[in-house]
Amino acid sequence: MDIYLPIAELSMNVFLLLAMGGAVGFISGLFGVGGGFLLTPLLIFTGIPSAVAVATVSSQIVASSASGALAYMRRKMIDFKLAGVLTASGVAGSYLGVWLFSVLRSLGQLDVVLSLAYVVFLGTIGALMLTEALRSIVAARRGRRPPAQRPGQHNWIHGLPLKIRFRRSRLYISALPVVGLGVAIGFLGALLGIGGGFIMVPALIYLLRVPTTIVVGTTLVQTFGTMAFATIMQAGTNRAVDAVLGLALMVGGVIGAQFGARVGQRLRGETLRALLGLLVLAVGIRFAVNLVLRPDEVFSVTTMSGEGL
Amino acid sequence: MAARPLALAALLAAATLAPAGPARAERLIATLSGEVVSIASNFTGSQIAFFGAIERDAQSVPRPSTYEIVVVAEGPPVSAVTRQKRRTLGLWINRDSESYRLVPAFHAVLASSPFTEVADEATRARLGLGLDMLPLRREAGPTPPFRSAFEKAFLRLMQAEGRYFEAVDGVDFLTPTLFQGKLAFPANVPIGTYDIRFMLFQDGVKLAEESRRIEVAKVGFEQMMTRFSREHGYLYGLATVVMASLTGWLAGVIFRRD
Repeated sequence: MDIYLPIAELSMNVFLLLAMGGAVGFISGLFGVGGGFLLTPLLIFTGIPSAVAVATVSSQIVASSASGALAYMRRKMIDFKLAGVLTASGVAGSYLGVWLFSVLRSLGQLDVVLSLAYVVFLGTIGALMLTEALRSIVAARRGRRPPAQRPGQHNWIHGLPLKIRFRRSRLYISALPVVGLGVAIGFLGALLGIGGGFIMVPALIYLLRVPTTIVVGTTLVQTFGTMAFATIMQAGTNRAVDAVLGLALMVGGVIGAQFGARVGQRLRGETLRALLGLLVLAVGIRFAVNLVLRPDEVFSVTTMSGEGL
Repeated sequence: MAARPLALAALLAAATLAPAGPARAERLIATLSGEVVSIASNFTGSQIAFFGAIERDAQSVPRPSTYEIVVVAEGPPVSAVTRQKRRTLGLWINRDSESYRLVPAFHAVLASSPFTEVADEATRARLGLGLDMLPLRREAGPTPPFRSAFEKAFLRLMQAEGRYFEAVDGVDFLTPTLFQGKLAFPANVPIGTYDIRFMLFQDGVKLAEESRRIEVAKVGFEQMMTRFSREHGYLYGLATVVMASLTGWLAGVIFRRD
């Protein structure tokens, strides 16, 4: 059954859309990540214009992070002050991201910048995750426990000025790295159509030493706020948010996530991280291949219909 | 000042269209099966049929040669850019580009015979008839337009998208003076007002022309949504966020396990 997507201006099979949303939702439930970094490329590969894909996926991320954040809120596992600071700076970064997105789109360089950014970020993060997970798997096999992170351990970040107290996270740290992290994630999120959870979670744990129990809920609140803002900005400036496409992806996504979460509980942490790292790396390599190999068609056409209905 | 050369050109054109001899008085009557292509949620493309008749008045001398019909359907003008990827530092990146102002977003040419049999090259060039003669960067002139590599790629890609096409067997004659055919619009048809021109040719000369308009428009929910997203972008974004939050919340309620 085909459904017409009014903003993308093409029709697609509604079951295919639900299945894509569902598959990515399953993965996001399995690994506890948003899945934007998979969904956006998947939509681009199936022929949705990349501008529409990026903008619409931000609305899908709003849905999935809302559902996650509510669950963590019920269990009171959120540092709202930290989430607030991250969101406020995320909004600023998101604003920059949407702006750069429009500029690149008008220059015709959006696709190549998206591909390059995906290669760099997914490649780096995927490789890091994979090596870290493999190392702990090997360590576990040899019967040694990996060195535990001691809370209260200090690094260079704790020497920065402008300190704020985050009571829920039992942290007293400089606002600078928090704001910097928020801006960076907001910027990447809006530009690439990703929630950034897979960067934010490790950054909060390893750089800022936020307690692990609070990290996920706090990240979800931040993702929700930043992506909600990005959706509104994308709709207002680039007119690229397709609500019909978004809804199909959301419905598929939230259902898939439930099943993913159930399977995820039965797998070991290291195995999960290794698989996720592999997946992230694979998507990055897929983009790299597209950039390096000679394309079948070196020409492309963009039409700009100035007039409305 | 500009009126005089224009008038002269019109006179010249009229002279070429009506060659010496008895005055021709063919009339072309054409009609369409519909005047609106409505795009609703189940839209996957659409067809409009056309019918027409050629009427001769009593004085016109019947000629042995047959009539030819060309139908041109042209969508709203848009600006377009063709870009070429070139290998740069090992990566394939868009480098050179060529822009076109006000080219048709949709262009279909249907004819009853191959174009070479309908009219000679100069006539077709002047009328911009056929994709090879479609003016892209300059106005239609007496010589066929020069095609850059970019223009060739543009035409090729627009055809691959189904937005440009030509069919030399797209018009069927039922009798020597009655014709019919179908215009197919793909699922990605651009929105707007379309001009459908019917042209009657005989012996390489255009005898008559008739035009119709159709409207390709989103209707109902699709129209509402597109208009809302164009006119109130930020509000539309906010509505999408509210919808997304509700979906997320609902999923949380349905699948709640704790």
